[in-house]
Amino acid sequence: MTPIITAVLVLSALSGILTLLLLVAEFFFANYGECTIDVNKGDKTFKVEGGASLLTSLASQKLFLPSGCGGRGGPLLPTETPYLNDEEQKSDVRLSCQVKVRGDIKIEVPEELLSIKEFETVIESITDYTHDIKGLRFRLPEGETIKFRAGQFANLFSKPYDDVKEETSRAYSISSAPSDNKAIELVVRYVPNGMVTTYVFKHLKQGDKARLIGPFGEFFLRDTSREIVCIAGGSGLAPIRSIILDMIDRGISNRKATFFFGAVSQRDLYYVEEFKVIEKEHPWFRFVPALSKDDSDHPYEKGIITEVVARNYGDMTELEAYLCGSPGMIDACCKVLASKGMPADRIYYDKFS
Amino acid sequence: MKQTPELDRIQKKMQPGVLTLKGFLGHDDRKLADIIAADCQTLLRLGINAAQITERLQDLADRGADLMEQEILVDSRYLVRVRDDRGKIPSPWGDGLFEKGDVDLVDQKTGKTLKWNRLTLRLISKHGFFGGYGSEYRIDPDVACEILDLKPVVDRSPESI
Repeated sequence: MTPIITAVLVLSALSGILTLLLLVAEFFFANYGECTIDVNKGDKTFKVEGGASLLTSLASQKLFLPSGCGGRGGPLLPTETPYLNDEEQKSDVRLSCQVKVRGDIKIEVPEELLSIKEFETVIESITDYTHDIKGLRFRLPEGETIKFRAGQFANLFSKPYDDVKEETSRAYSISSAPSDNKAIELVVRYVPNGMVTTYVFKHLKQGDKARLIGPFGEFFLRDTSREIVCIAGGSGLAPIRSIILDMIDRGISNRKATFFFGAVSQRDLYYVEEFKVIEKEHPWFRFVPALSKDDSDHPYEKGIITEVVARNYGDMTELEAYLCGSPGMIDACCKVLASKGMPADRIYYDKFS
Repeated sequence: MKQTPELDRIQKKMQPGVLTLKGFLGHDDRKLADIIAADCQTLLRLGINAAQITERLQDLADRGADLMEQEILVDSRYLVRVRDDRGKIPSPWGDGLFEKGDVDLVDQKTGKTLKWNRLTLRLISKHGFFGGYGSEYRIDPDVACEILDLKPVVDRSPESI
């Protein structure tokens, strides 16, 4: 019995000593002091306290990255490899949420990410578009503007409410045109039990302050001369509206554009009048609302949006497509477009995932 | 099953307002280990396993998918509606993000209902967590067995559950 007790005591003592050594080592060696982050070869330099993740350190300096960045240097961490493909690993792409700033560091950040900003906005208006979709217009602070590409999104932060004790953010597509740069419009669909959508639908009021960070995203109109087909459902209308308004602003009239908007019934339709006016004024644009389950007498196409697209086109080899909606809708659309000959690399979408 | 510090940490994330608005526990005030153990015992008693439930629920979800939220009658018995929501929900176990999109099922034979999403199925299949009492996403094994007409598997050992 005595040897067992002795062994337990010795092991406990050893564990204690090792823990103490680790704490002492952390105190002396894990204090990285002030570190310099050099962004894009001296374009911007920040002094930050070492030890935090690169993502957090950059955010503290108001440089907001969506997730990955071009941080370089040092071997890949085991926590990074599952998220990077072979090509990214070979070209030294790093994940800023995993890399700690432990010394002076030089990073390359794509130019477009440098325009991501934080905005303390005021809610200018809240509009009920349908029974479960609202439009919000956020006025930026006096003198500030936002630069974004039509199709991109922003993160909206909810304030703590009820059981939600912390600020929470979710991504919403911008529905306004880039030329309307002193405000941002978002379209929000209510998600049952959604933390931010519940805040928007039950707590947010006109005149309230709201925090936004953006713009983010790779969903935008490609600079080609191809005819385009846009397909959206629900709040997925938002980025398509921004793209169409931007085409009008930029005078792009040499590309035919058809917007298929899928809804269940008439109560789910919105912005119909606006798109009908655009259709009248701009011959290159066609708006095709489609209802999947509405037996009433209505002027719209009938059927699920994928069926409607399929019956409106023969060969789609030379077209390009812009999709916005749920992952299920996008997957279904991709299948239909592929069956019509559209190459996969000409189908653009933002699954928000 | 023991309530480890790890399960304590996970249970904190299951509270309302942390990862989801209403949380994962409903009005259930039992320890997470006890919730999991009790449902495991129910599976043993019924002679079914978690995979039977999740596979059947996934099959029903698949048959209601790609319909742009239209309700569909499956097997002349189940009314299934799959919501199309954008975004993802994190697992309280920290093992991934799962696409939103609730599936609502009404069994026309019994009138009973079930609600789940991809995360619900993951929590059942990977962690044996069926939801706390009162949670609208709880897949009660007794109810699931009845609604889904699950037949006992031959192997009734705890390892098969």
